[in-house]
Amino acid sequence: MRFDLNVDQQTFATVLGQMLQGAAFAPVEGWGRYDLGTALEAQFDAGGFFDAAAEPDLGPVAAALMVHDVAGVPVCFELAASALIRPFLGRDVPRPLAVRVDGQPGALRYLPQARGIVEIGETVRYADLPDGAAQPVDSLYAYPMGELTDPEALDWQTLDADPAKLRALWQVATAAELTGVLRAGLDAVLAHVRDRRQFGQPLGAFQGVQHRLANAAVEIEGARLMMLRAAQRQAPGDAALALGRAQEITNAITYDLHQFMGAMGLTLEHPLHRWTYRAKLLKAEMGGMGAAYLSYATDRWGAP
Amino acid sequence: MDFDWTEEDAAYRARIRDFLARTLPANWDEIARHGPGSPEQTEFSLTFCPKLADEGLLVPHWPADWGGADRPPWEHFILGEEMWRAGEPRGAQYMNVNWIGPVLMRYGSDAQKAQYIPPMAEGRAIWCQGFSEPNAGSDLASLRTRAIRDGADYVINGQKIWTSYAGLASTCFLLAQTGGADGGRAGIAIFLVPMDTPGIEVRAIPSLIGHGDIHEVFFTDVRVPATARLGAEGEGWTIISYALANERVGIPRYEMGAATLDTMVAELQARGQFSDSIVRSRAAQAAAACEAARLQVYRVVDGRSRGQAPGTESNLARVAVVGAERAVADFGMDFLPDAFSGSGHDALLSHHERAIVTGIAAGATEIQLNLVARQHLNLPKGA
Repeated sequence: MRFDLNVDQQTFATVLGQMLQGAAFAPVEGWGRYDLGTALEAQFDAGGFFDAAAEPDLGPVAAALMVHDVAGVPVCFELAASALIRPFLGRDVPRPLAVRVDGQPGALRYLPQARGIVEIGETVRYADLPDGAAQPVDSLYAYPMGELTDPEALDWQTLDADPAKLRALWQVATAAELTGVLRAGLDAVLAHVRDRRQFGQPLGAFQGVQHRLANAAVEIEGARLMMLRAAQRQAPGDAALALGRAQEITNAITYDLHQFMGAMGLTLEHPLHRWTYRAKLLKAEMGGMGAAYLSYATDRWGAP
Repeated sequence: MDFDWTEEDAAYRARIRDFLARTLPANWDEIARHGPGSPEQTEFSLTFCPKLADEGLLVPHWPADWGGADRPPWEHFILGEEMWRAGEPRGAQYMNVNWIGPVLMRYGSDAQKAQYIPPMAEGRAIWCQGFSEPNAGSDLASLRTRAIRDGADYVINGQKIWTSYAGLASTCFLLAQTGGADGGRAGIAIFLVPMDTPGIEVRAIPSLIGHGDIHEVFFTDVRVPATARLGAEGEGWTIISYALANERVGIPRYEMGAATLDTMVAELQARGQFSDSIVRSRAAQAAAACEAARLQVYRVVDGRSRGQAPGTESNLARVAVVGAERAVADFGMDFLPDAFSGSGHDALLSHHERAIVTGIAAGATEIQLNLVARQHLNLPKGA
């Protein structure tokens, strides 16, 4: 039982941290709810960061930490699927990559940019996405969202990949991104309540605020550690429990973060929505908390 | 990062489970029904702990000079998990093993060490901790029990409350003021007081948390020699801080909770009541709370095992543990209400009594939240 990173993972995390410092918040014209970090994405591509999980000394733990940390910057680009699904498909596929689980209907994140789509169900299928295969749709979420024009028209190929393992990896990737956006939202609100004064003292000095933020910190940290254990083990039970826990804590935390940021947090001039409106989509991924917990119950205590 | 056990750690855990399977009697759940402080469990601990000591499993993390084997923190921790999982057959003696012994080794006089440590290492000493008072609970430093120097002695007057295990303890680890009326932290000293000293009166407090657990202890002109003082006058707060840092994460309650959750699920399965999705997902939710706590506690132990100074992680861990025990206890009462009346469910009844005190014993959760807010999140102190 060790919680420290190995030397390669530490170096990787340090370099990553330096790269992320350059990603600043800027409002997007025309009521834009997300800001595509194309420059950062190009840096990741050039540095080979998308392939970290396949490096023996880095592995899925470093890749999951990367997804977590990148989720904390106010720009976004497709990373979760590239970092934790793409290296385990058994063949080269292009990125950005979209992921659909169990034929879930409706819009998917990053589909407008994606050049390929993976479907995890009873088997694992893959299809290239030629121009026109997906269309962008308007959305409340802080992601580029899109719909497939005609899913059955795609050239689906069944991959020789273990669906249980890929499902677990997608649960880990989702939990990593979710705990990352929650942590970033919490940090933004902490900065605000340290500075903003009312009734002659900082908001953060009121115990009614302190306890809720302290609880949020405890819950996010617990979910993050569960996610990391699941990243190491890639076992269905650990992954389902980690995702379920991250999804469970999201409602109360996103509510509190907006509550303490006040009206400013409802504007597009402030980045809080970039994290909370990703959390609100991620908490429903793969059927949400209920589905994750039912899956865990079967893994631990047997089928009903 | 490695979240799996080493082969050595796994073998150590298996050895403890094997010992428990061989040693705990068939009616153990009945003995453990009323908690670690109950007469039944206390009496049991006085035969069980010597057997543990013979097996080298009572104080393995202590130095060899004091009957231990200098084993690493993780082994000590695994031992605690397995004992609490089994319902804590060491009774009140877990406190000796975890912190009273180590505190005496560091701060005790040679005479105090010689008198008190060997009986702990042999498994035949029951201690109680005289900390809280009617007007000093979370604000422990405002305690008012006075110890006034009188020649070669101290004379102690005052009252303690919520004192665990006082009814059957042979010695009290007592906090008292030797300074003025408002001595605060600087005036606190510690005394090792034999419980049969004249002037000590113990009254059990009937409670929801098990028989023989909490008490009021009254000190009326209790005279002890100055040699009963642990450390110097005014050093009490430093010693207590050391003791708490040594303890860091307290009882591994998430392990007790996780084991109880399995017992609850097995009971529901036996009744054919574990197919409903709501019940299943609530069970998983409770398991998630246990694992969230477990990993935060493990991180603290990991830091300790690598010699890191205690940080705020232990405050986070303590809050998480409360969530775990609440989730399990609430699950039980929500879906197995009848297990909490009548007979046949000793393990669930005793778990409930132990679980409900989690957010209060050894420091209220709200105090931990204050510490997380100020020291971990760097939020300002209020006006």
